[in-house]
Amino acid sequence: MPEPGGKQPRLSWRYVVYALLAVVLLVNAFLYVGNPSDLDRFLIDAMLGLSVFVTLDAGLLSLANAGFMAIGAYSSAILVVRAGFPLLPAVLGAMVICGIIGVAIGLPVLRLRDVYLAIATIGFGEIVRILIVTNPGLTGGATGANLSTGFQYDKMKQTQTWMLVLALAVLIYAFYWLAHSRTGRAFRAMRANPQAAETMGINVVSYRVLAFVLSAMIAGAAGSLYAHDIGSLDNNDFSFNRAVQILSYAVLGGSTHWFGSILGAGLLSGLPVFLREFVGGSIPLVANFAQLPNIISGLALMLVIIFLPAGLYAPGRRQTAAPVKTGEVEEGTVPEAPALELSAERRNGEAGQPHGPLLEMKDVRCVFGGVTALDGVDLAVKEGEIHGLIGPNGAGKTTLINLISGFCRPASGRIIFREADITHMPAYQIAQLGVARTYQNIRLFGEMTVLENVVVGRHAYIRTNLLTTWLRLPRERREERDAAESAMALLERLGLEGLAGVPARELSYGDQRRVEIARALASQPHLLLLDEPAAGLTNAEAAALAEFLLELKRRRYTILAIEHHMDLIMRVSDEIMVLNFGRAIAEGALSRVRQDPEVIEAYLGQE
Amino acid sequence: MVDISLLANPIYLAQNVVDGLARGAVYAVFALGFTLIFGVLDILNLAHASTYMWCAFVGWIAMSQLGLPLWAGLMAAMIAGGIIAVILEFVAFRPLRREGSERLAPMISSIGASIIMVSLAEAAFTVQTKRFPTGVLNPTPVLLGGTDGVRVSWAQLLIVAVSVLLMIALGYLIRSTRTGKAMRAVAYSQRAAQLLGIDINQVVLTTFWIGGMLAGAAGVLVGLLTSSIAPNIGSQIELRGLAVVILGGLGNIEGAVLGGFVLGLVETFTIAYLQQGGDYKDAVAFLILFLMLLVRPNGLLGRREANRA
Repeated sequence: MPEPGGKQPRLSWRYVVYALLAVVLLVNAFLYVGNPSDLDRFLIDAMLGLSVFVTLDAGLLSLANAGFMAIGAYSSAILVVRAGFPLLPAVLGAMVICGIIGVAIGLPVLRLRDVYLAIATIGFGEIVRILIVTNPGLTGGATGANLSTGFQYDKMKQTQTWMLVLALAVLIYAFYWLAHSRTGRAFRAMRANPQAAETMGINVVSYRVLAFVLSAMIAGAAGSLYAHDIGSLDNNDFSFNRAVQILSYAVLGGSTHWFGSILGAGLLSGLPVFLREFVGGSIPLVANFAQLPNIISGLALMLVIIFLPAGLYAPGRRQTAAPVKTGEVEEGTVPEAPALELSAERRNGEAGQPHGPLLEMKDVRCVFGGVTALDGVDLAVKEGEIHGLIGPNGAGKTTLINLISGFCRPASGRIIFREADITHMPAYQIAQLGVARTYQNIRLFGEMTVLENVVVGRHAYIRTNLLTTWLRLPRERREERDAAESAMALLERLGLEGLAGVPARELSYGDQRRVEIARALASQPHLLLLDEPAAGLTNAEAAALAEFLLELKRRRYTILAIEHHMDLIMRVSDEIMVLNFGRAIAEGALSRVRQDPEVIEAYLGQE
Repeated sequence: MVDISLLANPIYLAQNVVDGLARGAVYAVFALGFTLIFGVLDILNLAHASTYMWCAFVGWIAMSQLGLPLWAGLMAAMIAGGIIAVILEFVAFRPLRREGSERLAPMISSIGASIIMVSLAEAAFTVQTKRFPTGVLNPTPVLLGGTDGVRVSWAQLLIVAVSVLLMIALGYLIRSTRTGKAMRAVAYSQRAAQLLGIDINQVVLTTFWIGGMLAGAAGVLVGLLTSSIAPNIGSQIELRGLAVVILGGLGNIEGAVLGGFVLGLVETFTIAYLQQGGDYKDAVAFLILFLMLLVRPNGLLGRREANRA
């Protein structure tokens, strides 16, 4: 699912909802203690909820979970009953099988756009079910109850409630640390804005596959435990309805935090129990109305998606009590800024050392449909300089930056960056080579805090993975701390430290622009691409920005900046290129371009 | 797997073509409403199948309980479909048509609506299968080529006739009327259409009304074909409907017709020529769905971009 957007209307609802939740959960807990099989169902539902949460967290709407649940259930049943495995190896085996199938299915399917992905995963779930029904020799047929296949209750029933509690606890541990890790940040960044995530060096396709595989493995484990808990197999337990039910746990409970799906599972799986045990006895209508729980859950799904789109539990989406303080850059009081020091690795060639241009574009043409956006453009950006890019609207300036960052591809021509041909390189690899950018229409990760946004900029530097995350290795703690500290130092330098914990979407326009620059700088770029950094800024803010860009130049950053703000561009640029109708009409040193009659006519003359 | 002796029998082949076309006609009518709503509004309405199921019951009430003739039952079901779809627009979709709403929120909302509709049908009609009274249609089949020839039931004839009529009417509406032009404009861009003075809400309502009527027609037609009406018939056709619209190209009207007939024929042939074909019949739909999404996600006649940019 893409970014849960929009403002939440009717916030006062939330407190009524929380009060109700507390009551219902208490009642549920009470009921569960009285009836272990209800408790087992809830524990498994919570795992299933988590399996769908991990895909939603990465911005994917997948309905494949019932299918993976089935694969998990049948493969571990076969391992236990036919191969004589004990429960734990069988569950792990089922997870491995689901993981492998997850990769095989995920690689092709995850390239599809959202609705198509949802449909493809629905199709996958049904295919799994049909394969179960059509292979009775292996699966025992439609209900698995065929005695000759041996899936009898006494062989199948393997679980105790404590095992399920343990399994859920392990998952909660995993999700808690995932949320605070490089991987978790990459997931949330992708959900908020896949394009921006890609240009921060995140390999979106492989992280999508990772999320999908994690989801498949969790669903597989839950399915396996489910089969060994109820002690039988029935393909109808893994139908499209089940997929929808699992999805509604996360949607209802909250799709932005792992706790939401557990909450949703508790509410929806507890609802029938609640109605049966409490209401049913006193109101005969309820007792005789078997469909009531389904109707209530359908209604809840609709109400929540309409009135609380982020779900019941959505921390960080509450309005901040006090208005957000705007960060100020006070002129003249620029502090010492170790935050901006480029690492030795990323520092551009030392002065005096001969070298070619950092970035070179050779005869680049770019065509959209029938429109030629860029027509044979040559560009050379030298190290340590600020290169201005000006021209009227529609001249192809943003297209040029999109080409360099790998957002779109040229029809012909070559783009060379630090002697590597990046013309057809994926955007995330270009970012990893040291190209960072900002966007004309800001693309922050709106639901993430300002600090997290900037830490995402460090993505390519942090060398942690799920293993270091879950084993809590010293490297994990160190790298996380270092990344947070250096991001914080950058925020301090930009006067944004007071906003570090605020979701980025709540910031003012000017602050968002600065956060975006901070995010780009966090990656210590060889080349910084700025697309109209001064748009919407006041004159004072633009002047401060100019000072800041000059400081970056002193620190040997290389910048290519699109800007309409003439005072700014004239003040900071070493060289300028003027684009008009996709052609460079002038290029070179500032003083020379200023005198060019064509430029004056096309552009500067307006002033 | 394939039964060789059957391959050489031309009568058997012709019979299966007839059966496949009738089956495909129902799929096509159902998928038309599905794809129309997606094409114009970019909404995957997963309550479309529940609308269809309810309409089958409305047709059943009209004919079995009230004793109305078939044409009246069909009209009643189509009007009921239109009304249900319009109600869905007001409760499930319109509240989500606002700035900053998630793209897939309407789909999830329609899932919720669908759960409610199926549960209500189970409560109202029980899960027991109903059928239309036998008197609504002449039960004697038309025989082509003598007593051993191809048997075409009146239901099959009627299904194909009604569905072709509906397809022509829909095609005319979209191509040649003012309403159709407005719908196409909204499909291209809601913003641009609004700026041109088109009343978006009006177009949306019209689209849902037409989509619902098509669901209603499909509900009665399938009731005639299979003689089984139950609360779960929606879920039986829903996923096939998805396969059909993907096959033809999501949002593509001609594609839905083509896809419907292709799926109807392929399913019928699977049953006819493969051993255990009845079991594999369902697999065929989803295999088509899955392979199409991998190989040609825009469908046979598609124009939209399904891959990520």
